[in-house]
Amino acid sequence: MRKKPRFHSLKKLKVRQDWSRWSLYSISQLRPPNVTTKTYFQQKWTAKSDTRAYHGEQIREKKWKRLFRRNLPAVVPMDHRYLARFDGSEQAAGRGAGADSNDKTRTPPQTPYMQMTYYPIERRLDSAIFRALFASSVRQARQFVVHGLVRVNGKKMPYPGYMLNPGDMFQVEPSSVMFATGAQKSRSSTARKVAKEKAAERAQAREGNPAPAHNPSQKAEPIATREEPTPKELKEHMQSLMVDVEHVLNEDVGAKDKQKFRAFRQTVRKAVSLWSKATPDTVSTLDTQFTFLKDALNARRAAQTSAPAEEEATPMMSPEDQKKLKDAFEKLKLEHENTSAWNKRDASAPYATPWRPRDYMAAFAFIPRYLEVNQNICAAVYLRHPVARPGLSEVPTPFHVETGQLAFNWYLRRR
Amino acid sequence: MPPRLRSPNFSSVSSCPSVRPQSIAQPARAARDFSQSSCRQVTQRRRKFYEWLNGPGRALKQPLPGSTNYLGAYDKFGNLVRGGTMPEKAPEKPKEGEAAAKEGAEGESAPVVEGQESADELDAALRQHEKEEQATKKDDENKLPPETAEDLRPFPLNKFFRSQPVLSEELREAIYQFVVKEGKTVPLASITFGVSNERVGAVVRLKQMEKQWIAQGKTLAMPYSKAVLEMVPTTPYIDTSLPKNAGKRPVVHEPINDLIVHPATRQQLFVPVAESRHFTREDAGKAFDNNLLPADERIPHPELVKVVRDEIAGYSNEERRALAQERYREAAEKKKAAEDAKRKEELETRRTVPQRRWDFVFQDVSVEDAGRDGRSHKGVGWRYGLPHEDRKKGQVKIPTKVEA
Repeated sequence: MRKKPRFHSLKKLKVRQDWSRWSLYSISQLRPPNVTTKTYFQQKWTAKSDTRAYHGEQIREKKWKRLFRRNLPAVVPMDHRYLARFDGSEQAAGRGAGADSNDKTRTPPQTPYMQMTYYPIERRLDSAIFRALFASSVRQARQFVVHGLVRVNGKKMPYPGYMLNPGDMFQVEPSSVMFATGAQKSRSSTARKVAKEKAAERAQAREGNPAPAHNPSQKAEPIATREEPTPKELKEHMQSLMVDVEHVLNEDVGAKDKQKFRAFRQTVRKAVSLWSKATPDTVSTLDTQFTFLKDALNARRAAQTSAPAEEEATPMMSPEDQKKLKDAFEKLKLEHENTSAWNKRDASAPYATPWRPRDYMAAFAFIPRYLEVNQNICAAVYLRHPVARPGLSEVPTPFHVETGQLAFNWYLRRR
Repeated sequence: MPPRLRSPNFSSVSSCPSVRPQSIAQPARAARDFSQSSCRQVTQRRRKFYEWLNGPGRALKQPLPGSTNYLGAYDKFGNLVRGGTMPEKAPEKPKEGEAAAKEGAEGESAPVVEGQESADELDAALRQHEKEEQATKKDDENKLPPETAEDLRPFPLNKFFRSQPVLSEELREAIYQFVVKEGKTVPLASITFGVSNERVGAVVRLKQMEKQWIAQGKTLAMPYSKAVLEMVPTTPYIDTSLPKNAGKRPVVHEPINDLIVHPATRQQLFVPVAESRHFTREDAGKAFDNNLLPADERIPHPELVKVVRDEIAGYSNEERRALAQERYREAAEKKKAAEDAKRKEELETRRTVPQRRWDFVFQDVSVEDAGRDGRSHKGVGWRYGLPHEDRKKGQVKIPTKVEA
């Protein structure tokens, strides 16, 4: 039997539907078709072979031929103000109606119908998953489907050839998406050996002296605090806290620079430690810290209103401030979750941790308009079939217009 | 007859016509003595590949911070075209009328005679917004200028494809709040945000699911989401209720009045018409197909056309609003009546007998459904001479639809 040709061959450069460096290289080496020295049949053949290596390479030719449609969908974006103003008769008016000018109106750009030759393939589930950036190649998307990691409208769909209908929602397992789009893990035996040795050392150290050093310092802290904070102190602390709240609200979750989050945590801890009621057990988590702070402040305010003789000038938390504080706490929680869930090193994850996008992903990252994707839950909705519009075709194809035309003509079967 | 195996002792270049003349002549190596292929070419190709990868392709390996990073943004030598020493062009004339998808409330811009919105102008408006934003933020001097149309081409050879912006997270949240929390209708959301009807529905559906996930405590793919939204162009959300965005208009995401090219209109027609006749769009539609509706009724937002017509007719703002509400009410009533009629008909033709585990449903069928030759797929039951074909080779058993 003849040897199967290489998938990525440098001898015969073919663009494939994946995010590899070979694909990128072949896209950069693509040229418009050679129409001078080849016969029409040869031109069509090359165009067909090149485009089919990209579009639906996993589908048999016969199957694709049955999918092929010669009617290509298109839309024209209309201007409702024009439609309201004119009834179209001005286009039919001739010189008799007084239309007598030689200046030409601007022609709208060409509608690239034949760049849409392969639009039925974009309807397939595996292609749609690839286009939604949930897999790094169509073959991988196909594998996800076959392995049962994909749901359509909430039901498992194991057929990669399922033709999506407008309005269908498909979702892929987020862990698989992270694996497909994340940088690959570099596996070296030495790294593994080093990690193992270090872990063994740590275990040995722990057994040697079971760390008693931490307890006394923890005990010492609550003793140092007084019964109740003075209003002045409280005011100062609240001011610094609000400054940090502002900082945190401006910061992005998952940002590289975590100083502001850290500073906020510090001030919160300080503010909590002002009160003697706060023991490390009661205010260990962020939620409890927040409720504790709120309750303490409210109690304080209630006390003040009951005794108006005391100075009224101490600014307690206004409702807006309280809302801001709550937002900041929520953000902090999210950030904490984010770091603990995604940014930790995890040897069991099938991708490099902390997660980062794989190499050359940015060069292929685009989402066509016929899909609406929510990346957070790794789900997307197939809105409608791809269409051509003036100057724009929605089927992503790396080939020249003429190549598309030649390929379309090949499948018209009049060769 | 020539020898089947070429002797390596032959002079390498002259005897081998497949060797390109530009390849450097090397002495044949002993280890490759039996190889028929010329290893030089293979290595040359590979060398070129790695040269490209380490030269022009190097910039594409990692995403550019705060920008897209497509092949079309670079020249042949791997230099970022817009990052270079391009002189700042003269200030572009402000694009007007494109971001004005508001319900006919604002003044009229220059009349568009072709009657089409162009997607280029929408994108240009978006870039204009980015530029303005950057002009206000002067502190980032080393930041890249916003992308031009060429920079958004992942495939440089295909001039008809470019990476189009997606909705930003804030815009999605705003749409969700608008539809679900404020209870506004989908068409209104579509007009307000400049997003097509289907997309509004999809955004709401996906957002709802996301909220569900958060409520259930599932972990979201946050780093992935952040990375992707950094890599693709996004449509920002401009909250016009904020004081700092007082004079701004929301950025239109996509054209919302797409007219589908009807198959009947694909042919060319030659219809002679008297010049004295008032030949309108509707007449032209009739010439193609008797059932073809005019464009102002086939677009997704026919109500916009009516609002502008009222404006031209000289109604005041209140009157226009009242008329629009009246139309909306009428349409809703009509829809409800149609639904009721359908339900009633279903009740009349279907009879359900509830049982212990399943319900029996009886439905009226007609013999005529099978068609004149008795072979129509609408016919019910097994018919003589019409075998089931589901066990035949090549019958597709993949489901064609999944109920939502």
